[in-house]
Amino acid sequence: MFLHICRWLQDNSFIAVINGTAWTAAAVEIVHYFSMFILVGSMVIVDLRVLGLVGRAQGATQLADRLFPWIWASLVLNFVSGFLMFAGSATAYYRNDIFYDKMGVVLLAIVANIIVQQKVRKWDQLPAMPVWAKSIAVLSIGLWVGAIIAGVEVPALTGVG
Amino acid sequence: MDGSLLGFGQWLQNRSFALAIAGSDWAYPLVQATHFTGLSIWVGTNVAVDLSLIGLGKKSSTSLQLSDALFIWNWIGFGIAVIGGFLLFSVSAETYLTNIAFLTKLGLLIPLGLVLHVVIQQKAPMWEKALETPPVAKVAGFTELLLWLCVATAAVLIPYVG
Repeated sequence: MFLHICRWLQDNSFIAVINGTAWTAAAVEIVHYFSMFILVGSMVIVDLRVLGLVGRAQGATQLADRLFPWIWASLVLNFVSGFLMFAGSATAYYRNDIFYDKMGVVLLAIVANIIVQQKVRKWDQLPAMPVWAKSIAVLSIGLWVGAIIAGVEVPALTGVG
Repeated sequence: MDGSLLGFGQWLQNRSFALAIAGSDWAYPLVQATHFTGLSIWVGTNVAVDLSLIGLGKKSSTSLQLSDALFIWNWIGFGIAVIGGFLLFSVSAETYLTNIAFLTKLGLLIPLGLVLHVVIQQKAPMWEKALETPPVAKVAGFTELLLWLCVATAAVLIPYVG
């Protein structure tokens, strides 16, 4: 079933043109990288603030309010561009174990983002950041770095992408 | 390309650390991941301040407060990106030195971006004193955002033009 969808996607003329034309393929890649930098960088900063390692003059809530809109906006751009890249070689990604690992790690990282966003206001009002808040922050950083590692391993180990 | 620069590239890529990275299955992707992680912190912190200067997003703090809070991690991110980037470069230095996209990125776009970045960090306290963000601050923030996007563009184009 999923393989059928992958074939259909890959044979779709719109997808084929985007991935087959040098400048559109490059544009999609640029969007994917740049949005990934904003997404991961902003989230890591929020996590580091929860850990108390970013300038404390700035409250964790203040910083989160500033950065979460960019985090979610860049996630959307990252997803759309990533989907276009996936669709162009969908059947190859279908057989690619590391690609599934990457998607799994990214999903977990997004769950961690949501938890931090939901809870940061509450944590900020406490006299000190609770241990489990800091654990989530460490986990979040680890997951995003893990997503980057899985991301570079997809072409490095499997030649896809 | 200048012969001595190419000579340097050849010398660099024959250093033992460069040969070790090139010859290992896992080292090269890990160096790549290091470069991207550093870049994420650098670009993420830059974009946050630039967008704030432009006047976008929640005004939960001023651009100066944001810039000050992110200052250390901004440069830590840059340091990690440079180390990772240098190692990636050293693996095939000679090829990079003949690639027009790489030369534009390193010789033109990154220096321009860095100069503007330092100017913004220097000028932020002055802009802060004005009642309203002066137009020059908005233009500077927008230009910096655009410059780093150009850097990413040149980087993506390296394999396309090589």
